[in-house]
Amino acid sequence: MKKKYRLGIDAGGTFTDFVFSDDQGNVRLFKSTSTPDDGTQAIDAGLQQISAAVGRSIEDILADTDLCINGTTVALNALIQFKGVKVGLICTAGHEDSIEIRLGHKEDGYRYDAKYPPARMLVPRYLRFPVRERTRSDGQEYTPLHEEDVRAACDLFRKEGVEAVVISFVWSVLDASHEKRAAEIVRECLPGVFLSVGSEVFPQTREYTRTSTTVLNAYLGPVLQKYVEGIDAYMRGRGLRAPVQYFQSNGGMATGRAMSQKSVYAINSGPASAPQAGLYFAKPLDIDNIITVDMGGTSFDITLTQGGRTNISKNIDFLRYRIGVPMIQVETLGAGGGSIAWIDPSGLLRVGPQSAGAVPGPACYGRGGREPTVTDANVVLGYLHPEHLLRGRLKLDRQASIDAIRDRVATPFGMTVEEAAYGIFKIVNNNMVGGMRRVSIERGYDPRDFALLGAGGAGPLHITALAAEMGIRKVLVPKLASGLCAFGQIISDVKYNYLAACPMRLDERADFEAVRRLYVSIEDAAVASLKAEGFADADISIERSMDLRYVGQVHECTVELGSMEVSLETLPEIRGRLDRVHRQLFTYDEPDSLAELVNIESTVYGRVPKPNPPRYPKGGADASHALDHVRDAVFSDGGTGVRRVSTPVFDGSKLLAGNVVSGPAVIEEETTSIVVEPGWKAVLDSQGSYVLTQD
Amino acid sequence: MGRNVDRITLSVVRGVLETTQREMTLTLEKTARSSVFNTAHDYSNALFNHRAEMILQGQDIPIHLGSLMPAMKAVAGFFGDDLAEGDVIYHNDPRYMGSHILDCCMYNPVFYKGELVFWTVCKGHVTDIGGPVPAGYNPDAKELYAEGLHIPPVKLWDRGKERKDVVNFMLANMRARRDQEGDLRAQYGAVKVGERNLIALLDKYGVQTVQDCIDELMDMADRQMRGLIATLPDGVYEDSAVVEDAGHGYGDLEIKARIEIRGDQCKIRIDSPPQIPYFINSYAGNSVSGVYLGLMMFAQVDPPYNEGLYRCVELDLGPKGTLCNAVEPAPCVNCTTTPMETLADAVRKALEKAAPDRAVASWGHANGVNIAGQDSRNREEYVSMILASIISGAGATAYMDGWHACGPQCCFGALTSGDIEVLEYSYPIIIHRYGLMTDSGGAGKYRGGSGTVWEVEPIDHEMTVITFGEGRRFPALGAAGAESQMTDAKVGRLVVSSAAGEKIYRENVLVTIKPGERAANHNPGGGGYGNPLERPADRVADDVRNGIVSVDGARLEYGVVIDPSTFAVDEAATRRARQERTAA
Repeated sequence: MKKKYRLGIDAGGTFTDFVFSDDQGNVRLFKSTSTPDDGTQAIDAGLQQISAAVGRSIEDILADTDLCINGTTVALNALIQFKGVKVGLICTAGHEDSIEIRLGHKEDGYRYDAKYPPARMLVPRYLRFPVRERTRSDGQEYTPLHEEDVRAACDLFRKEGVEAVVISFVWSVLDASHEKRAAEIVRECLPGVFLSVGSEVFPQTREYTRTSTTVLNAYLGPVLQKYVEGIDAYMRGRGLRAPVQYFQSNGGMATGRAMSQKSVYAINSGPASAPQAGLYFAKPLDIDNIITVDMGGTSFDITLTQGGRTNISKNIDFLRYRIGVPMIQVETLGAGGGSIAWIDPSGLLRVGPQSAGAVPGPACYGRGGREPTVTDANVVLGYLHPEHLLRGRLKLDRQASIDAIRDRVATPFGMTVEEAAYGIFKIVNNNMVGGMRRVSIERGYDPRDFALLGAGGAGPLHITALAAEMGIRKVLVPKLASGLCAFGQIISDVKYNYLAACPMRLDERADFEAVRRLYVSIEDAAVASLKAEGFADADISIERSMDLRYVGQVHECTVELGSMEVSLETLPEIRGRLDRVHRQLFTYDEPDSLAELVNIESTVYGRVPKPNPPRYPKGGADASHALDHVRDAVFSDGGTGVRRVSTPVFDGSKLLAGNVVSGPAVIEEETTSIVVEPGWKAVLDSQGSYVLTQD
Repeated sequence: MGRNVDRITLSVVRGVLETTQREMTLTLEKTARSSVFNTAHDYSNALFNHRAEMILQGQDIPIHLGSLMPAMKAVAGFFGDDLAEGDVIYHNDPRYMGSHILDCCMYNPVFYKGELVFWTVCKGHVTDIGGPVPAGYNPDAKELYAEGLHIPPVKLWDRGKERKDVVNFMLANMRARRDQEGDLRAQYGAVKVGERNLIALLDKYGVQTVQDCIDELMDMADRQMRGLIATLPDGVYEDSAVVEDAGHGYGDLEIKARIEIRGDQCKIRIDSPPQIPYFINSYAGNSVSGVYLGLMMFAQVDPPYNEGLYRCVELDLGPKGTLCNAVEPAPCVNCTTTPMETLADAVRKALEKAAPDRAVASWGHANGVNIAGQDSRNREEYVSMILASIISGAGATAYMDGWHACGPQCCFGALTSGDIEVLEYSYPIIIHRYGLMTDSGGAGKYRGGSGTVWEVEPIDHEMTVITFGEGRRFPALGAAGAESQMTDAKVGRLVVSSAAGEKIYRENVLVTIKPGERAANHNPGGGGYGNPLERPADRVADDVRNGIVSVDGARLEYGVVIDPSTFAVDEAATRRARQERTAA
């Protein structure tokens, strides 16, 4: 009988995670060391592990794999390291500097800093070529396209060895004909060059955002293209029949070819699958409001999902570059196990964003690190056992942790080492809470309405403390926590996301028919391509939203419509939704003000059947059979001090579904430990998630 | 640490205060109607304690934040005990320590269990405040009464109930009422979002703990500033800077700063010429902003920023009735840029005499335009300050070139100019140019940042262009021996092109233009740092290739000879040119 495997591959900066599932509901996690120069080596190493574990050849496994998904940080790393290609920009004369002016703003936080440099230009000024052409804000042509200018730009780009060209004109979002003609000329003059056009990459109002987004797309496109071609060729060569699907920052997937044309959609695709995984693990509990936090060695990624829908960011500065395209909102902080504790010039204890990384690493790694890190604090506090990490393959030097914390924090502050370690624990928690507030409270969500999912190697150590700080009473920690994103990839639906500008005042005279036609036109193409990929009608669904504002405002509120049609009849309902969203965010609404439509958006889903969940054997409430040992751990004394508590430590691999572990306790899994704070209890559910609740 | 505050709680409280200020800012930006609020960040939010002391000033516009401290005290003092939960106060009057009447400020007293515990405050530049000239900048006003509506402290909400008559009275005096009303609601949203957060903080930690933490944060800021002042040699340091005559006919005006350093204390004394019947006088509240900006440009201290920073500073603005300590009836609408930026320069330069290694160059001063007219698309009146027209270059520092397009000095990078498509959507205009200006950055070992040009044409109507500011004759001041040759390329101006040709304005004017005519506002670049002959030739060549410096500019200002076709440095000719210049 033909097996149906599914393979999720999440290529991170340090490790490449593999989540492999079969149709019996067996889901397994593998890890190999990432190979940034040639991603296929890490993949080959991981496939060998899978092959050994399954007892079949890689070719046989891939032949039976009907879905292979790859999430990658290739584009992200190329941007961080400035390893994109040489780009030339063809733009409306008079506006060649918008990506350098950056709206005339210096980032907050550096107001009086005499050493903070401007953002590095991805297209230097001499490669930004002004072209005479202009469309007005009403879509009328003001200056026709001077084709000779486009040709002159091509001459310069050829001479300069430009590898990618961007065309971005003012108001091309209302009339793209000048951009289209210029693109024809570029294709004719510079055959083979990578070309990105503003009205195709990001068809929305705001010239600076659109140009910047398109520049990033061109800067990273060829890099991603090379990566994708390598992976596709390797996988095909090893027998994979289905095309590899690549994960996107908006939570959807695309084939390699589509992906490399729109690389900017892939820029932060790594953590973007966390919400899907979170929803999956929360489903048995009937929870669809979930905040996921993923804490690794250097960073802490947060996502928020309400009612099964995840927050999406648009028009944000990402690593100092403006990106318009919707991205799953991931708040990333420099807070991880390796984050260093230090005392700032004003005498306050700080943690991060500097990280000791893997080398030298935390002091307890014994690789020469002398700075106290969060991991050192966790060792001192008794949360991490020095001998038990990765089943003893990674041994920790507890004394080195004590020394580092004593010398750098406890002695200068006149505290005990345990107080100082707990201080580090609280400060890093506080930083993470700040980030969690930004994705929740600052956007109008009450965290108490959410469950919290802890992931990553370090996340479960902090998770109950974070939950308590946020007022969250329910926490989930899946056994697969450290491969959460790779797992999220294999359970995500195929998703196409389309946007269109649709400026219109929404009153009784609005042209509802035009809005409806525009929705249908952007949805039809997506539905057709899903059908071509083999999705049945019943598995295809559409969700609509629109960006609305009160007339005179320039920032929009996104209002979800689901599958609702836009018409005179539904207008009052749409209006009501705008008022509600506005009130939730900003404390007030304006029910008497006229509303205005700015953009419409449709997301078309092709439903992918979820793997059968694993079943863990059931046991009673008693967990004593899994008790490994008892050790001292440090917790808050309820005020500002700390107390040492004799704490039972459980072996997670021996726990049965239904066993109850009451805090204070620690549950040790192979790649992480879960700290159950006093007042909390943990129960393993039948699908392999720990559910932690506060009494 | 003086009081019993644990460091961990302190960090948490500080974080919540910062988040609160940021959420207030987001609320204002996302909901406001005028481009000045919703895209340009010409507003500031701050938090005050029950003693009306600023406990967090955030990262917003420097020109607003200094004056907020005396203004808050004036407003709190005006009402005294007559404050109740649900009151919301509005104010813009320079006679009550406001800056200029366009900066309208909302003060929301926050009560907790019946006690006044905080104030959440939101100050923003409204696009119109009545008076004879749209957008408020009336160069012909001889007295402040001719500038627009003055709002002494007044309650707009009384015990939670909107005083609709008063709000209506106010809005009835303003142009483009719909925008002004929307912006007023946005300010209300901002102060209430602030209140919501602070009450949650008090619920969690209690009033005493929170107040102790805040007192400690203020002491920390105090210690930072004192620590810096203590490193300066005791003595008296003096310098001055000049406000150029932007059309008033009273000539260039010199502002002097005299700074006395004793231990960890600093006394600042300002002397300026008598006030004049032109809109560049500065009342005391606004002058506090100028002095504090000069101090912060010099000090460059890290946050927290609060009123504690200035405890060690004793300030004397000079005799009443002078330019920097103006009194009724002096007009003052231009004061937040001119003379405020020059005042900041004078203070900074005097301080730099005590510590020459801390010197930085001046940023381009503000020289902007407002536009007004009738929008035929909706037959509504429009009026707005255009912050995109005001973006100058930043000054170079001892560490690096100045940022391009980051000024003016009075805003210090806090503005955002707004997307040109958003502006063209909001107003019936075409923006033909918004770009960097060749040779506009001050020459130096580290070059000043480039200024910008913003060129506009009205669609199907006559549009009034109203200018303000200065910096059209004197370039931004360099530092550490920086000197420019091509000074005219470095200053601002308004250039109006019509069938009759080009006309250049270096004074503040009202000009009307029609479709087919264009107004281009040029902004100054930032000052340079250090001797331009020491700038590495390859960096000059790079600037030439990118059109930031011209081939002539390279030769004249930097002594670097560049081949215009290859952008290669002619090493021999450069050596000769630099030697000659050094010898001379």
